[in-house]
Amino acid sequence: MSPYIEASNFSMPFAQLMTAGIELAINRLLKLDEDSQQRLKKLSGKSLQVTIAELPWPLVFNFSEQVIVRTVSNADKDSAPAADSVDCLIELNLETLPKLKDSSQLTQLIQQKQLNLIGDVYVAQTFSNLLKEIDIDWEEQLSGYTGDVVAHQTFTSMRALFDTAKSQIEKGAIDLSERLTQSDSIAVKPNEVHEFSKGVNEIRSATERLFARVAQLEQRQKTATGSDN
Amino acid sequence: MSAPETPETHSQQQQTTHFGFKQVDTSQKVNMVKDVFQSVAAKYDVMNDLMSFGVHRLWKRYTIDCSGARTGHKVLDLAGGTGDLTAKFSRIVGETGQVILADINDAMLKVGRDKLRDRGIVGNVEYVQANAETLPFPDNSFDIITIAFGLRNVTDKDKALASMYRVLKPGGRLLVLEFSKPSNEMLNKAYDMYSFHLLPKIGQLVANDADSYQYLAESIRMHPEQEVLKTMMDEAGFEQTTYHNLTGGIVALHRGFKF
Repeated sequence: MSPYIEASNFSMPFAQLMTAGIELAINRLLKLDEDSQQRLKKLSGKSLQVTIAELPWPLVFNFSEQVIVRTVSNADKDSAPAADSVDCLIELNLETLPKLKDSSQLTQLIQQKQLNLIGDVYVAQTFSNLLKEIDIDWEEQLSGYTGDVVAHQTFTSMRALFDTAKSQIEKGAIDLSERLTQSDSIAVKPNEVHEFSKGVNEIRSATERLFARVAQLEQRQKTATGSDN
Repeated sequence: MSAPETPETHSQQQQTTHFGFKQVDTSQKVNMVKDVFQSVAAKYDVMNDLMSFGVHRLWKRYTIDCSGARTGHKVLDLAGGTGDLTAKFSRIVGETGQVILADINDAMLKVGRDKLRDRGIVGNVEYVQANAETLPFPDNSFDIITIAFGLRNVTDKDKALASMYRVLKPGGRLLVLEFSKPSNEMLNKAYDMYSFHLLPKIGQLVANDADSYQYLAESIRMHPEQEVLKTMMDEAGFEQTTYHNLTGGIVALHRGFKF
């Protein structure tokens, strides 16, 4: 019996559930940004396979007026010449994924064997830009359900709330910073102790001089009173 | 309950065949199946979602994932009904490829064509009314053939498999997605309860047609189980034939290659 039969007889097709979710999310977002359709046209007819080491299934993206997301069956995973069947093939791990934002690092990542890239890099870069450049006017989207007035008021209130929260957070941060600075000054530094001791000594000397002066004056007064008698 | 088909009983059924649990004249089955689908065509998609709780979409996705489809391929979506597979294949094979949505039933084809056109799927899709037993295509025409939830309605399955083998290109593959036999006895009993008691009621409620959904339940039980269908595909000439049970064997995807 082949592994194709044995693999999860009882299972739901979870890989397909995952790809369906990704596909739905991407296409919904693209639909909300009218300009994205124009950018998607650049990829029409192209395909991209992304193999992430931590995921059990590679993801295959086919581009047309929509993005189709699918995977490769277990039976095909080892036998199919994936690089021949897609325009671009990327193999990497999750740690490397955020580094792809900076396209100038691609060569370095390939040299460090953190990234395996076969085929047309333009496909991967265009897809990455497509997702990065999605710009959705959420107020406009909400107005479709609630009408312009409610959508505008909702977003104005949300912006005001956001601004208030932001300023409160900034104020809180300043207060906290000041408190931290004050608490730093509570911890007395050696030069401050020295200055304080010096000050105490000066006061002590001045006090002693004052006592001596007072004593001297008292003595003079006693002497003057005795002469008068 | 009648016994499901085996290769022996199957080859013996020359004059009569089953229509659900009934035995009917072989020549009558095509029209009887036609009447069933004529009746359910309009509500077909809604009923599929209701009956399978939407899971049929995942079974079809799995079929596509196992198809190895790529840009430029020529695909035959046989008994393609309302075009769920065709829609995906059309976007995968692109402008240089082609998808043929074939169905014996013109009502189903019309529903499928309208649905796909409404979704902007045009250009690389053609619609052909065809009998799976006598496919009207030249030899070695297709890279991929799929038949999803259609084979059990075909009168002469051996003849249909041979016809599919003929029109498949060398190196091409056939994918048969079909209801099958659950591998767990408990699941089998629960599935029987659902199919024979609940399903016709849902059919009555939504499509105003309990009989068609009673036929659906019966035709599933009469369809050859996993190993039998695999043998039939082997006998038709397919190689490296395998199957994969989905959702505990309620559905199975059979795959075979022509070399």
